[in-house]
Parts: sequence; structure tokens; C-alpha cells
Amino acid sequence: MGYGKWDDDTYAAAKTFRAARGLDDFGYTATMRTRPYTEWTVDPSLDPFGVSVRESRDSAGHPDSLPIAVLFDVTGSMGVVPRIMQDKLGKLHGLLQRKGYADDPQILFGGIGDADCDRVPLQIGQFESDNAMDEQLRTVFLEGGGGGQKSESYELAAYFMTRHIATDAWEKRGQKGYLFIIGDEFNKSRLSARQVRTVIGDDLRRDVTVESVYRELEERWNVYFVLPNQSAYYDDPEIARHWTRLLGERFLKLDDPAAVCELIALTVGMGEDRIDLGEGLADLRDIGSVAEADSVGTALVTLGAGRAPVTTARVPLGDADDDDVSFT
Amino acid sequence: MSEIFGDRDIIVVDLGFGDAGKGATVDWLCAPETGLDVAAVVRFNGGAQAAHNVVTDGRHHTFSQFGAGTFSEVPTVLSRHVLVEPIALAAEARALAALGVANPLRLLHVDARALLTTPIHVAANRAREDARGVGRHGSCGKGIGETAAYALTHPDAPTVGDCRTPAALRRKLEALAAHYRPLLADGRHPFPGVDDMVALYVEFAAAVRVTDDGDLADLAARGRLVFEGAQGVLLDEWRGFHPHTTWSTVEPSHARKLIDRLGRRGYVLGVTRTYTTRHGAGPHPTEDPALAAALPEPHNGTGDYQGAFRVGHLDEVLLRYAVEVCGGVDGLAVTHLDAVERAAAAGTPIRAGQCYRHVGERLPLGPAQDLAYQQRLTETLGRVTVAQVPLPTGRAELLAHLETVAGAPVAVAADGPDRAARTIASALAA
Repeated sequence: MGYGKWDDDTYAAAKTFRAARGLDDFGYTATMRTRPYTEWTVDPSLDPFGVSVRESRDSAGHPDSLPIAVLFDVTGSMGVVPRIMQDKLGKLHGLLQRKGYADDPQILFGGIGDADCDRVPLQIGQFESDNAMDEQLRTVFLEGGGGGQKSESYELAAYFMTRHIATDAWEKRGQKGYLFIIGDEFNKSRLSARQVRTVIGDDLRRDVTVESVYRELEERWNVYFVLPNQSAYYDDPEIARHWTRLLGERFLKLDDPAAVCELIALTVGMGEDRIDLGEGLADLRDIGSVAEADSVGTALVTLGAGRAPVTTARVPLGDADDDDVSFT
Repeated sequence: MSEIFGDRDIIVVDLGFGDAGKGATVDWLCAPETGLDVAAVVRFNGGAQAAHNVVTDGRHHTFSQFGAGTFSEVPTVLSRHVLVEPIALAAEARALAALGVANPLRLLHVDARALLTTPIHVAANRAREDARGVGRHGSCGKGIGETAAYALTHPDAPTVGDCRTPAALRRKLEALAAHYRPLLADGRHPFPGVDDMVALYVEFAAAVRVTDDGDLADLAARGRLVFEGAQGVLLDEWRGFHPHTTWSTVEPSHARKLIDRLGRRGYVLGVTRTYTTRHGAGPHPTEDPALAAALPEPHNGTGDYQGAFRVGHLDEVLLRYAVEVCGGVDGLAVTHLDAVERAAAAGTPIRAGQCYRHVGERLPLGPAQDLAYQQRLTETLGRVTVAQVPLPTGRAELLAHLETVAGAPVAVAADGPDRAARTIASALAA
């Protein structure tokens, strides 16, 4: 996966032709919605069940691959965020590549739902460096729904990322990738072994604490939780407390959901030490993302002040214990 | 107007090196108020390098692949002789939508046999032009020449019709990429992957009407056709001044054949400015930088690959040659009448280059498709001196003079870029 190069003109042209035909960019979702609920299912290319690994690998054209995973909460009102992201994929690449934030970014998209009640609780694509990522994102099923329990199965996605991803960045260079979880609720109270078995197919024998999943995840990923101002939970102190306890300063509140693409680009650019916050915000204004720059500036002000903690931060929770995830 | 054109289809050709005002002329011919009942605009040469400026009702658009009748909702046929570039087409559709044309792609009819210009051709074009350095041909950098050249030697060159069959298209694009790999190996001119291109072109073929003949006969049954030439006949691949030409038959023979096949009659409307311009490298005997300064150009800048816009006095020898290359024209559309007064006011009146010393008033037409002969003409043009006299400044005298030089009546005249500045010549002369 991921041997080509992103091409903005091709992406824009395909979008134009789809619009001329009256097609929804998220065609998979549109098709599913015409069917009964009981037939809703994940597209095979995004089904995590039975996947051994998703890979981000170096190649002749991309010798310095940098994995970036973006997992969207696709329940309820959060479904609008992937659409915003799809609209701005060209901008993301403009910043990452033309502005030099990352040499060879490879991007994976996925969707997170609620494994207690959704038909499609987890979707995980491939790492792509060309326009296939546009197709991947557009194939994500925006199921909507959600359980009304103020929690989604983020920990299930986190578990997949710890156990089913292989990257050359880590294996050859000891370099962490970037994982962005974009959502607005709590993790489930525990990682459910039963859900791991039914959704991912691993034979996990007992439930695991959410803390230990994220602790393991942190070893190879710079993990960010982005809370866009898209629901009542934006100002909920319990949500903030939950994620700050897990991720510290990498819990980011974004007052304008339209700026999610710019936020990701700048976070990577700063994490890779290619820019500081001021330079990144200037770049955003250069490309016309003026309002977005203000939102991103607010979201990243803590990271911007510190810079270094981005890659060295540890999960602020205690030591490993016997609740840690273990292979069967 | 119909007393001039009768029931004939109208072929609009540029009698210079381009930029004479074909787009504005076609826009005017298609406007409902002109009353010509135009059913479609047919492109019969060129590709995405066309740049036809239209200004009307406060809107401005540089038409490239869409026909210049689009503001009047007149459909466009991209005939088999056009080189189609879907990525640029999409960008143009977005620009037109922003100007208030709802879903412009619904107006397109595309002949399945038309060649496809891809990002690979564009990259190859630019790589070659870069390698030429100061010896540049003045190409637009849009892959037109590469599309034509590749198709000459490769019968399996990708066409619009291939976009309907992804497997065949993929094979052809892979062959194309393999052919150009040595030229593009340094990566300075990147192009998208074959998978991405296939996905895009399949979307393209689904979004526009692709038929085996562009639906030409069906559209013709609904009314008059206007054939919109691209570039100018002095850039014709066989009759232009080699090698500073385009890879396209610009003179109207292709359009005439399409009309013949419909069993109808055509009217060739030759478009000329009151002075002579050219974009890019190649001979321009009456060129005068002072005149360029007196007549600034609102829509023709300096292109990265094309070079500067060059302005000169009216070259009557080239105008006669252009008419002859067309096999005669039925009428003239004279544009930029207002430039005569503006140039005079700026202290650099437009002059008439009547003949070349030691050559005469005419450039003799050579044998068919003899590029060595065309090359000799180019060398001749590079050496000539031009005998010049003042151009008549009274409008009636000026139009009468141009009729004499071109050997055809003036049908349309224009006093400025806007649609409203165009009128039938009799009204203007009166």
C-alpha cells in the first residue's frame, strides 16, 4: 500500500465529476442507507475482522514513510467531521508535502462506533500515500446512531492500533507514528474481550482496563484525542477530565470542527520539528485558512508552548499491572 | 443576421496566430438576442490549450474546452478531432459553476474517438520544453503536442471511449507511462498513479455524455451548429510556420467535412483583429513593442511555457495567406476596432504592412503537408522587411480596406471585448 503520490488535481476533478452526477462523496454510506438496518455492514476493505496487520512501509519513492492514522467517531453528530476532512484532503497534503511538514506521509482512515449497539463498530483502512486515501475515506460508513451512554468504543480502536499495525518508521527508525482519534465521548469502561473476539477476531480471554490499552498504544504512537465543537459534550468537564487523565496535553479541544484537517497537519509538523506554532499558523493564513488558524492556534497553544513533550510525553497513569493486554 | 448566414452552419476560424476574438464572436453568435437559433457549439481542433475570452453581463471566463456559447446554455460537442483533458475540464466546470452556470458538465457531448490528454502527456511536454532551454517552441505546456505525437506512433493511444472500459484503459495508461518513463525518470515532472487516473477517468466518462459521434446529427437536427476553431490558422500544423505551430489542423477542413457529412452547407467566418498579435516564439514581421505598450492586453499575460504576448501592426501579407490557407472565407469578423483610436491617441497609430520587400503581397501556398517548405517560409519571414502605410482610421474606410485585403465582406464587427460591443457590420458602418 501507499506507493503512489497524492495528486490534488486528480482528487479535485474526481470530486467535480461525482458532484455533476449528483453522487454523494460518501457513496458507500448513501448506498447503505437505502437498505434495511439489518443489512448494514462494513465495506470489506475497511473490515478489521481477521486482519493480521495493516502496514506502513518504505519504498523507493517514499524512503522515509511516516504513518498518520485518523480515526473518526462516526456516531451521531460527529459524522459531519469525516465529510469536512474529505473536502480538505488536498489542503492536508498541501501542508504536509508542499510545506514540508512530513516527507513521505502515509495516511490511514477509520471509523469508530459503539460495539454495544452499532452494526459497524470499527472500520480500519490501509495506509495510503496516493489518492486511494480519498477513496478509503469516502468508503467509511457513517452509521450515525450511537448508544446514548456517553461512551463509544474508542478503546477497541486503540487495541487494534496496538496489535495490528506494523510500520517501518518504528521498526527501522524507532519513530512513533501519529494517531488522531476524533470524538466527543468516553471510552467504554473496559476493553471487552468478547467485543475483541467478535469485531477483530482475536481470541482475547478477559477484559482489559482502558488505561493499559492506551499505555501500550503510547509506546509506538503519538496519540491525540480531538474534541471538536460539534456536540453538547464540548464543554463537559467530565469528558475533558477522562481524556486528560489518559493523554495529558494531547487532549485537544477544537472550537471549529471545520479546522480538523489543519489541526492534524500542524500537529504533525510540530511533532516532526519542522515548524513551531507561529510558523504553522502563518502557513495556514498563507493558504487561506484564516478562521481555521485561530481555532488551531487555540487548540494547540499548550503544545506550542512546550514542543518537546509531543514525542516524549508518557501516559500520566501509573505503572503496568496485571490488567495489561496480553496475547493469548 | 440570418440574411447573412442563411441556414448555414457557421465555422469560426482565427485568421491570425490566435487571440483574435473567436470566443467573444462565438458567444455573440450563440446569444439568444442574436437570433441565430444555435443548437450546439462544435470544437473541431485543439484541446485544453485553447483560451477564448468572453466578457458578458459582467462575467468573464477564459473558455478552454467548453464552447464559448456556454453562457447562453448552448451545448458543446467535443468532436473526434479534439484532444480532451478531463482534469482541466473539471476545473473549468468549477469555474463556470462559480459564474452561475448550473452543472456545466451536463452541456458536454464528447466523441468517444477523441484522444485523451493525460497528466503523463503534460509532464512529458514540460520535460521536453525545459530541455530545449532557449530554443523553446513556445508551447503552452499542456501536453497537446505529446498527445498528438504519441497517437501517431501508437494506435492504442488512450481515447475518451476507453474511459468506459476500465480494464482497457488501464492497459493503455500503463503502456503510456512505460513509454515516457525514461524521459520522466528524474521526477521533476511528477504525475499521478495509473490507479488514480483510471478511477478519475471512469468518473469523467460517467459524468459527461460520451457517444460514438458526439450526438452531432441529433443536435444538428435541432438547429444551427457553430464550429469554434481553436488557435489561429497561422499556427496550423501543416500550413503554419514550422516548427512554431500547434499539433492540430486549425484551418477549417475538418469542420467542413463534418458539415458535409450532415448534408448541410457551411459559412466560414474568419476572425481578425485590426492589428496582428502572437503568443510565444516564431516569426512576427510587423512586431512593434511601442504598439504593445499602446495596446495593453487585459487577458493575455506572459505564460510560463508560452512566453510573452507580442503585438504588431496589421500584417496584410499574413492575412491574405491565412484566407488562402482556409480555402477562402465567406465573411469576416473584425474585432478590436476601438484599438485604432486608442493606438492613435497613445501616439503609435496602427500601420498597415502591405507587402514584404523582395517577396511581395502574397506568400505562395506550398505543396500539401510539406514541412520543409513551411520551414523555408519561416526562415523567409524571419528576414523580411515590411512596407507599411497608415491604416485608414475612419470605420467605413477601415472595414472596406479589410474586405479588399481578405477578399470577403465584413459580417460582424466589434468595438470592445464585451458581447454588447459586437454588432452586424452594416449597422456599424452606417
